[in-house]
Amino acid sequence: MSAENKEAQDTEVPQILPLELIDKSIGTKIWAIMSDFHEFVGTLEGFDDFVNIVLSDVTEYDVSKKVVSKKSKMLLSSRNLAMLVPGGDGPDF
Amino acid sequence: MDTEEQKKTTNSVANYLSGITSSPVIVKLNNGFEYHGILSSIDGFMNIVLEKCSEQVGSKVVKNYNELFLRGNNVMYISQA
Repeated sequence: MSAENKEAQDTEVPQILPLELIDKSIGTKIWAIMSDFHEFVGTLEGFDDFVNIVLSDVTEYDVSKKVVSKKSKMLLSSRNLAMLVPGGDGPDF
Repeated sequence: MDTEEQKKTTNSVANYLSGITSSPVIVKLNNGFEYHGILSSIDGFMNIVLEKCSEQVGSKVVKNYNELFLRGNNVMYISQA
């Protein structure tokens, strides 16, 4: 890497950090997709350092996008969490 | 970003967990098994101890346990029943 390039990279600050995006989504609808294609849609209440997330008014979808269950509040483990879509309405829309 | 806001968000997970201990919960594992029972304790690994717990596969009760330990790595979610 040339000195110029390095300098360009050092001065270039990302507009928004990944977790900032999630932090900004607190209190709004979010769509969580697990690595096995299970999906959850709910209001993001918060998250921790591992991105375990607390959701309220949750709808759970199975791999074929069928509604499996509705829960008032849940803690979703980050272990198999693949993707979070802020403002996502889920597979129905 | 690292101070107030972060604290609020991290607390929400801890708060949720402390708020639901000794109340009825549903725990779903990554293999699809569900456990309905009373949450007696949970730790940072999401290791969970349930009391008076029923094991459900495809919404059919297959077994009942008076007390049960679930290792955290298998847990997909824990929710209020």
